[in-house]
Amino acid sequence: MKTLIKAAAAAALLTASATTASFADGHGWKPEGPIKMIIAFAAGGGADTSGRLIADEVTAATGWDIIPEQITGKGGINALLALKDMPADGTSIALVVTESLGYNAVAAEGAGITPGGFTGLTTTAGFQMGVVAKADKGWATFADMIAAAKAGEDLSFGVMSPKLADLAYLLGEANGVEFNIVSVRGGKAVMNGVTAGDLDVGFMAGIQGKGVASGDLVNLASALSEPLKQTPEAPKMSDLGVEFSADGYFVFVAPAGLPDDARKALTDALSTAANTGKAGGMIEKAFGGTTIITGDDLDALLQSDYDSSGALMKAAE
Amino acid sequence: MGIWDHAVMGFMSVFSGPEAFSILGVGISITLIMILTGFLMGITVGATPGLAGPMAMAIALPILISIFGFSQDAFLPVMGFLIGIMKGATLGGSVPAILFNTPGTPDAYMTTLDGYPMAQKGQAKKALKVAHLSSVSGDTFSDVVLVLCAPFLAVLVESYLDLPEKAALLILSLAFIAAVIGGSVGKGLISMGLGLLAAMIATGEDFYPRLTMGSPALAEGFPIATAILGVLILGEVFKSIEDMIRSGIQSAPRPAATVAGDRLSFAEIRRLAPHIARSSVIGTIIGALPGIGSTLAATLGYAFARARYDNKRSASDPRFGEGAPEGIAATEAANSAVSGANLIPVLSLGIPGNAAAVFLILGMESIGGFNPGPAVFRVPSDGFNPELIMAFGLFTAMFLTNGLNWTIGGVFMRAVGVMARVPKEVLLPVVLLLTLTAIYVQENTMAAMWIAVGFGVLGYIMRRVGMSPLPFVIAFILGGKLEETARQAFAATGGDAFFLFTHPIAAAFMVMSLAVIVFNLRKPSP
Repeated sequence: MKTLIKAAAAAALLTASATTASFADGHGWKPEGPIKMIIAFAAGGGADTSGRLIADEVTAATGWDIIPEQITGKGGINALLALKDMPADGTSIALVVTESLGYNAVAAEGAGITPGGFTGLTTTAGFQMGVVAKADKGWATFADMIAAAKAGEDLSFGVMSPKLADLAYLLGEANGVEFNIVSVRGGKAVMNGVTAGDLDVGFMAGIQGKGVASGDLVNLASALSEPLKQTPEAPKMSDLGVEFSADGYFVFVAPAGLPDDARKALTDALSTAANTGKAGGMIEKAFGGTTIITGDDLDALLQSDYDSSGALMKAAE
Repeated sequence: MGIWDHAVMGFMSVFSGPEAFSILGVGISITLIMILTGFLMGITVGATPGLAGPMAMAIALPILISIFGFSQDAFLPVMGFLIGIMKGATLGGSVPAILFNTPGTPDAYMTTLDGYPMAQKGQAKKALKVAHLSSVSGDTFSDVVLVLCAPFLAVLVESYLDLPEKAALLILSLAFIAAVIGGSVGKGLISMGLGLLAAMIATGEDFYPRLTMGSPALAEGFPIATAILGVLILGEVFKSIEDMIRSGIQSAPRPAATVAGDRLSFAEIRRLAPHIARSSVIGTIIGALPGIGSTLAATLGYAFARARYDNKRSASDPRFGEGAPEGIAATEAANSAVSGANLIPVLSLGIPGNAAAVFLILGMESIGGFNPGPAVFRVPSDGFNPELIMAFGLFTAMFLTNGLNWTIGGVFMRAVGVMARVPKEVLLPVVLLLTLTAIYVQENTMAAMWIAVGFGVLGYIMRRVGMSPLPFVIAFILGGKLEETARQAFAATGGDAFFLFTHPIAAAFMVMSLAVIVFNLRKPSP
């Protein structure tokens, strides 16, 4: 039933955005030359694949040439640094996460990255970030894990970014335990560590879906401000005494100063593509469906992420 | 349904998939075509200096996904193609190592030690035949072990190895390679230290790139393929050019087309067999360990074979390093045996052991329907487990590719022997062009060219002072992983600075690391 609703929602979005796209085409903005699409994620992974498939769909729909290019590392900061100095005429865009322009931008003090330095285009999908453990640990709920920690078990907690490390710390503090926080590279590495038994528990942003469905992994908690789609009964961060959350999205951005017609045309083309064909199917499968946030809403989201990062850092000090 | 029914269904799924075309009413499934195409591409890529299997897999994967999509039907054709590349390239990789002294991957480096001297003596075909026999034997053996042991072996290994043990295991691998390769422990350690230093650049956890001296070209660190190809191939090219300048182009002895002793007799195969068998076992064991890779296997196989061989060698036989077929056999069997066993952690835990396995996992993940993990090998009490059937489909694809390796691979290896007759003054520019092109295709920047040339100069200097470039390359590859694992082990043990010594298995690995260095220091150099 849930999939049916999701499919219906996706279809509705699709028709809606398809109409806007043809509308945008009518306005006639066209990039002058091929568009360089910087991808801040390792080649071949889920995020990379979604970016490339979206590029294919945009090309199919509009005829624009798009050249994807990997610039990885430093939580998206490398990609944003490269994008910052590129022309703001719609021929350069980047796929990053909202965290790159939020917490990571604040943490990378010297780099000079702020949301104001970029034009947000559209988000494509949100994280289904959960606190995940292996099923054979024997914990059915978050409380079981806390009980095990209080009984004297040393628990290692895998995280894939400094922001999540702060959240893990606060989560432990609020529940009266101290986790050994282990930062690893990427969500896949957290899952590998948990599967192999090197880590006891960790944050995973959606890749746990299959493992949870097959019963090998358990979503102990939602790291978001709302419940997980897959495990709605798991407590969310605010239920566990932490006022921050790991809410985040994959997002396309361009350099600051992008003309309005270019911004609108790119936003429409990308958001339509994210719901279309192979791109739409892949995002549905890997991230549980598209989440499109554009325009002023996106600007506000990026700015508030950036502003609240300082508070999170302070809380975790 | 029992395990046997799953095996039969998996086997059938390879042959009965969507039809590509039919011959006399018998449908040929698309999967078979893809396995064959992948294999042909792999062996060509492997045999081309400067190209290697993982790179071809990286390029092929997105193309395959866009052709076949990510439905369950796409699984076997796409994975068959990737496995074809992986296995074809494993065999083909020995070709440039033997013929041109330019290994495309670090694990083929040991093959050059005896392969190239044999080629120079006019025994190129024999060397290639030895490589073919041992590579495919090792690979097949490893696949048999995979099919028999995959469900429980990886889980068993992982239950003993936690983060501190993994960090210690990496240190042991580096210590072993530094101490054993190249004859001198001191030079080996220096070479390894330089590799670790290069791996430090721009990596780490901070939000600013370290040790780059502000250069934006280095902000992502040295690109891995660029550095390796620079040291291994450009270094050799530079050295050969210098040799040619010193001794003149004409005086370089051209190997005769065929000389006596370019055949591989049955008696010789019998002599090689124990080396192949020993190395196959070594390679399989190393392959089943997480994240160590085929180069250590090749080194171990070679070192053990050298020790055995020196004891039994008659005066007329060539030493290791002077063109002994046993050296090729030991190396190739070991590095090829890694590839099958590497899938043990891949299938049962979803953890890659080497670069090729990374792309297999990416393929599985992009397609869906197959979720590597313990659930794959669960036999349900009623109904059937589709993932287990897919796993058996993969095994079938692997054995089909082994068949291709034995047959078409053999023909191929005999045919490329002709290339040994290409004179060096023609060959070197071609190799140089191919290598630089391969690097440019992967990195798309001019900076990568300069970095490659820089590493080429480093490789040249190392060869001039008699220092093996292999410890450098391995340390460069494993350096990041070592730092990461050590950092994680430190964090996971709650900030215990002595995590390498407080866990018994880790401590044992550390003692072995010290022992291997001390033992090799005391040994009189040959």
